[in-house]
Amino acid sequence: MSKPNPLQINFCGVRFENPFCLSSSPVGNHAEMCARAYDAGWGGVVYKTLGLEKSFRVVMPSPRLNAYNYGDKRVIGLQNTEQITDRPIRDNLRDLAWLKKSYPNKVLISSIMGYDDEDWAELAKMSEDAGADLVELNFSCPQMAHKHAGHRVGQDFHAVEMFTRVVKNATRLPVIAKMTPNITDMVPVALAAKDGGADAISAINTIKAITNIDLDSFTPMPDIHGNSAATGFSGPAVKPIAMRFVSDLYNSKQLNLPVSAIGGIETWIDALHFLLLGATNIQVTTAIMRYGYRIVEDMIEGLTDFMNDRNIGSLDELIGQAARMIVDPSEFDTRHQVVAVVDPEKCIGCGQCFISCRDGANQAMKFNAAKRKVEVDETRCVGCLLCKHVCPVWDCISHKEVDTLTTRHAAIF
Amino acid sequence: MKTNIDPVKISEFKCMREPLSLEAVIRESNRCLLCHEAPCSAGCPAGTDPGRFIRQIRFYNYKGAARTIRNNNILGGVCAFICPVEKLCEKECSIKALEDPININGLQRFVVEYGKAFSLEPMKVSSKNMGHVAIIGAGPAGMSCASSLATLDYDVTLYEQEQQAGGIARYYIPAFRLPEETLNDDITNLLSQGVKISHGKNLTYIGTITDLMKRGFDAVFISTGLSKPFRLELLEGYINVTDYLSFLRNIRHDFTAPELKNKNIAIIGGGSVALDAAVSASAAGASRVYLISLEHLKELPADQEEINLARLMNVIFKAGSQITRVVAEDKQITRLTGIETDWKEPDNYHPSNARQIQGTEFSINVDLVVQAIGTCPDDKITRFARGVEIMGKGTIVTGSDFSTNLPGVFAGGDVVSGGATIVQAVGDGKKAAESIHNYLNKRRANQ
Repeated sequence: MSKPNPLQINFCGVRFENPFCLSSSPVGNHAEMCARAYDAGWGGVVYKTLGLEKSFRVVMPSPRLNAYNYGDKRVIGLQNTEQITDRPIRDNLRDLAWLKKSYPNKVLISSIMGYDDEDWAELAKMSEDAGADLVELNFSCPQMAHKHAGHRVGQDFHAVEMFTRVVKNATRLPVIAKMTPNITDMVPVALAAKDGGADAISAINTIKAITNIDLDSFTPMPDIHGNSAATGFSGPAVKPIAMRFVSDLYNSKQLNLPVSAIGGIETWIDALHFLLLGATNIQVTTAIMRYGYRIVEDMIEGLTDFMNDRNIGSLDELIGQAARMIVDPSEFDTRHQVVAVVDPEKCIGCGQCFISCRDGANQAMKFNAAKRKVEVDETRCVGCLLCKHVCPVWDCISHKEVDTLTTRHAAIF
Repeated sequence: MKTNIDPVKISEFKCMREPLSLEAVIRESNRCLLCHEAPCSAGCPAGTDPGRFIRQIRFYNYKGAARTIRNNNILGGVCAFICPVEKLCEKECSIKALEDPININGLQRFVVEYGKAFSLEPMKVSSKNMGHVAIIGAGPAGMSCASSLATLDYDVTLYEQEQQAGGIARYYIPAFRLPEETLNDDITNLLSQGVKISHGKNLTYIGTITDLMKRGFDAVFISTGLSKPFRLELLEGYINVTDYLSFLRNIRHDFTAPELKNKNIAIIGGGSVALDAAVSASAAGASRVYLISLEHLKELPADQEEINLARLMNVIFKAGSQITRVVAEDKQITRLTGIETDWKEPDNYHPSNARQIQGTEFSINVDLVVQAIGTCPDDKITRFARGVEIMGKGTIVTGSDFSTNLPGVFAGGDVVSGGATIVQAVGDGKKAAESIHNYLNKRRANQ
C-alpha cells in the first residue's frame, strides 16, 4: 500500500494535491500556459488578475522588465512594470472554464481587481460561474496606473474591508485578500480584510523598487522611452522581507487566518521556510519566469524526501513551527554567549574573516602572516560570527558557547 | 592551466591566450577571495600587485586597475600574455585550496586593454630634474628600470642596438604568444613618461662606461640580456645547425622563413624557448618535430601551457634523452643518434648528472637541428663594462640591490641572472631603479 501523499493540504476548505501554486502574474496568462503548469505538477494556479475593460485602460509598456544582478549572479531580483491582464474578460473566463473542466482535481484560483463595488462583485460572480475554486483579491499590484486600484487600495484599510465585503456578498467561494508589502505593518490591513469577511491572506505582492540606472542617459531602468517608474520587485532578493511579513501575519492571534506565501520562492527549502513561518500555501512566479514550470518537480520531490526522512506525515506538522520562535529582541536570553571557533585544518588563509572582523566588527581575529592562518582572540570576540558568514569555506568557522559566569565575554563586560 | 589552446589559431598567428569576455571578467573577479596580504601579489616578481587590481576590478574600478598595472609594471600588457602565471601569482592563489585559481593573466589583459580602449590618461611625464641615467639595452629589465626612474623624475636615455625596443619580447617571443601591438602599447606608455630611446646604438658605438659618465650620466644600468647561444661540441661545424635565437627571430612573424615545409626538425632543449621553437616549426609545416631534452616530461622547465600546446601541435617529445652521434654528408647532418637518459642523483638536472640507459638507442632523420640549450651575454660586455666584475659565463656580478662593484654602475635582468622570465627582469629593473635613486640621493647628500 502506498503512503498517503504527504504534501496534500487543505486551504480554505479546498484540497490541494500539493501547496505549490502559480501566483497571479505572467506565468498564468492564459489556459495553455496554466495547463502546462498543471501537467508539470503544480497543485494550483492563481490566474492572471482579471479586470473589466470598461474600468481600466491596462498599460503594457516595453521594455517591461529589469533584472537586479549581483556581481556575476544574474536576476537575484526582477522588476516588472506589467499590470493585470490585457486580454478581454470574455476570453479569460472561457480559459478559466476550460481549465476547470480539463483539470477538475487541480485548484483554480481567480485573481480579480475591480474599480468600484460593482466591478468587484461582477468579477467575483464571473469567476465563480467560470468554475474557480477560490477568489484572490488583488489589493496590491504596485503598477496599476490608477488612483483607486492596485496597491493604493491595499494601503487603505477602509477600502480593503469594503471591497472584501462586496466580494463575500457576491460569491460563495472562499476569498483570499492579497496584501501589498509597500506598507509599514501588514497586520492592520489583513485585519481589515478579515473584518470584510476574507477567508485567507496572501502575501507578499511585489515591492515597489528601482533596480538600475543607465549611466549614459541617467534613466532608471527599464527605460520606457525616456521614463521609468518604481514598480514591482520580486525574486530571491525579496524573500527575507516576505518571510518577515508572513510570520507577522501568522503570529497575529487576532488575525488567525491561513496564509498563502509569496516572495522569492525557488526551491523546496524556500517553500519549507515559509511553511515553517506559518504559510499553508505557496505561490511562485519569478522562479518560473527564470527556470520554467519544471522546477515544481524538485519542490515536490525535495519536500517529500525531507518529510519522509523525518517521518513527518503531513504539512500540518510543519506549518508555523519556526514562527513560534520569532520574539521581540528584548526577550532574548543574553546570558548565553558564543565565540567563533576556526578549524585550522580547513582555513585556507585568505584572511577575509580577518578583514571583516577588523573593519566591520570587533578586531577579534588575528592573522598569522607567516603561516597564513587566523586565530580567534576570545577576549575580544563578541560572537557576532561575521567571520563565519564571510568565510569561503562553509564549514571552517563554527562557534562555541562560553560560560559567562566564569569567562569574561566582550559582549557583556 | 588554460585549456583553450587551438593549434589552428597558432598556425594563423592568432594568440594562444584567449581574451576574457566582460561576463567572464565579472565572474572571475567575483570568484576572487580578495585575500588579506594577497599571496598572488607576493608571488609576482615584478610587484604588479594582482591582489589590488583584482579588487579594483571586483568593485568596477577598471581604470584604477589599469593604473595599478601600468604604474607597477610597465610591461603589464606583455606580462598578461606571456607570464608563466601557474608558477607565480596563480600558484599562490588561496582559492586553489577549493577550486581552480583565478585567471589572473586574463583579468590583467582585460584591464590593460580597457585602459587603452577608454583612453586612460597619459602617464606623468618625468620632470628630469633628478639627474641623468643611461640604460644599456631596451629589453624588459631596461624598460622597467627606465619607467621607474622616470617616475622618480630622472632623465633617462635607453640605448638599444636594435631598431626597435622590446628585446626578447620583440625579437624572440613568437607572435602567437605575444601580439606585437601589446608590446608597442607598453612602449608607448614608457615613452609618454618622457623616456628617450636611442635606437641602433650597439656597445661599440656607445664605447665604455667611462665614456658615458664623461657625457654627463650620473649612473648606468646595464641590461643587455643574453645574446650568445651555447652550442654542443658534437654539433660544431655543420651547416644545418642553428641556434634558437636565429631560428625564432626568423620565424617569429613568418612561418615560411626559413622554409620548413615537410622537413624534419630536431630541437635540443626543454625550456620555453625550445618549446617556442618546436611549436613554430610545427606551425610552419615541418613534417616531424622532435624535442630532445635531458629533462623528463614533468621536469621540463617550460610552462605547462607551452608543453600542452606543443603536444597539440604534434611535437614528438624525446624527453629524458641526449644526442650521442651525428651522421653527416658534406657538412650536412642527415641523422642524429641518441639514447635515453636518467639522473645519477635526484633533483639535479645538470648534464653532468645524466646517465645513459643502455639498450635505448634511437636514431632520427633530420633536415635541421636547432640548439636551445641556453645563452650567455655578449663578449663585448667585458670591454664596455671594463672594471665590472664578471662571472665565468659572462654574467655580471651584482649585489641584491643590483649594484656592481663600480660606483654608479648597476646591472639587472638576464645579463645578471643568466636567463629568467620577463616578469623577473621587470622586477629587477624596478628594484635597480630604487637602488640607483638611493645611490644618487646619498651622493647628493654628500655634495
